[in-house]
Amino acid sequence: MTDAAGLAVEDIVAGYGGVPVLDGVSISARPGTITAVLGANGAGKTTLLRAISGFVRPRRGRVLVGGTDLARRPPEDIARAGVAHVPEGQGVITELTVEDNLRVGALATRDRAGRAAALADAYRRFPVLSERRRRAAATLSGGERQILVIARALMAAPRVLLLDEPSLGLAPRMVAQVMDLVRQLRDDAGLTVLLVEQNARSALGIADTGLVLNLGKVVAEDNAAALAGDVGLRRHYLGF
Amino acid sequence: MQEFIEFGLGGIGIGMIYAAIALSLVLIWRGTRVLNYSQGGMAMFTTYVAWEVISKTGNYWLGFVLALAAGLILGAVLERTVVRPTIGKSPLNSVIVTIGLLIFLEGLAGIIYGGQYRSFPAAYSVRGLRIGSFSLGISSNDLFTAAAVLAAALILALVFRYTTVGLRLRATAFNSGVARLLGIRIGRVLTLGWALAGLFGALAGVLVTPTTFLYPNSMDSIFVLGFTAAVIGGLDSPVGAVVGGVLLGVVLSYAGGYIGNDLVLVYGLVVLALVLMVRPSGLFSSAAARRV
Repeated sequence: MTDAAGLAVEDIVAGYGGVPVLDGVSISARPGTITAVLGANGAGKTTLLRAISGFVRPRRGRVLVGGTDLARRPPEDIARAGVAHVPEGQGVITELTVEDNLRVGALATRDRAGRAAALADAYRRFPVLSERRRRAAATLSGGERQILVIARALMAAPRVLLLDEPSLGLAPRMVAQVMDLVRQLRDDAGLTVLLVEQNARSALGIADTGLVLNLGKVVAEDNAAALAGDVGLRRHYLGF
Repeated sequence: MQEFIEFGLGGIGIGMIYAAIALSLVLIWRGTRVLNYSQGGMAMFTTYVAWEVISKTGNYWLGFVLALAAGLILGAVLERTVVRPTIGKSPLNSVIVTIGLLIFLEGLAGIIYGGQYRSFPAAYSVRGLRIGSFSLGISSNDLFTAAAVLAAALILALVFRYTTVGLRLRATAFNSGVARLLGIRIGRVLTLGWALAGLFGALAGVLVTPTTFLYPNSMDSIFVLGFTAAVIGGLDSPVGAVVGGVLLGVVLSYAGGYIGNDLVLVYGLVVLALVLMVRPSGLFSSAAARRV
């Protein structure tokens, strides 16, 4: 479905105002893998995603998508380069219908034929969205909205998918459903996914590799199974 | 009875002008959260463009079309140069800039053309229409005015609803952060919004100036009433702009006709005050009251 790319972040320093939130963070994600980004509130997880998608301008460092450095480019350009960012809080455009939300996802990146194909694809993959296509997005439940924004991100045929806390505010059954969806996206579509989560257990359940951020630095990085098995680490940083 | 019908129809006629100005204001407000105080000045300026063309060529429709084109261009240029830096900053910045633009445009028109009142042709006859001996209070030109504004509003609505450009405009207006995230170049979308607003202002200008005569301040009161109409309808709602315009036109027409014509602007102020007291977000707005 997409031509996934590897994602590498090299020694990023970024923040708001004078204070650097990310203090030299490096990540490497191979194409077609899920990398879980974990850590407490304020550790810099969201800032990391925003530094990659361009909403925060890194003061130093590189952001390599498929080998091309996209750091410090405007967010519109980065999105067009195949980086899809689903922000914390979902970002549903509530005044538009479900269908219009989806269509917006493809506006900047696909041609007319591509847009039609992407829409058909989305409805095939997510029947719940097809059923609700004409309804205002504001009428969707939390779980449905999360699916909508992920589907919307996929409309652009991205190479890299950045997910910021997709489980936030969702009932446990919906969380499982969303995690399952993300896993499918890696398995079927071969997408490269960066998954920021507070729900570390669920995230490590589907991830290939994981890393833990604390106070703007990477304090642990390993394959997911090893991280989940490190009881000391879990208790200290991950809460389970 | 005849008066009643005359005032009513006449009110709808002028109401369409207010609607056109209101539409411009709504277009810009929705897209950029900027209240364009220079909208009347822009409309006046493009009407001078029409006047120039008509004087030199004798061709009304050429002037009409070129005024609309000038509106598009003027809107786009102003957004790109003067207004863009104010986006996202304190709202006071855009207020100061657009008021400054108004003063600039009126001053420039005064320098180039002088302050004297010039006559401006109407597209069609301005003689009152009659059915038998019953005077309707409106003219063929009034009918054309209403048709032109309604057609433009309808085309705008269709563009918004059914085209990808319209979707871009809506998405950017509702949530520009998400739009950027999805790769939309919102700068270009904002420029387009201003260009369309310039178009509607230009339309209002050429349609109303036959009545007001053309001089640098000719659109001032029209702007104030168009602004009132936009607030009545709810600054976020294009439908509200049209309904607000017509409603205001009719109310002012009756008030002016039955009470007295000298205080039309005061009546407008009264209506504005009443609406702001009773339903501050406007008739068609779904959101909470906004600061203006």
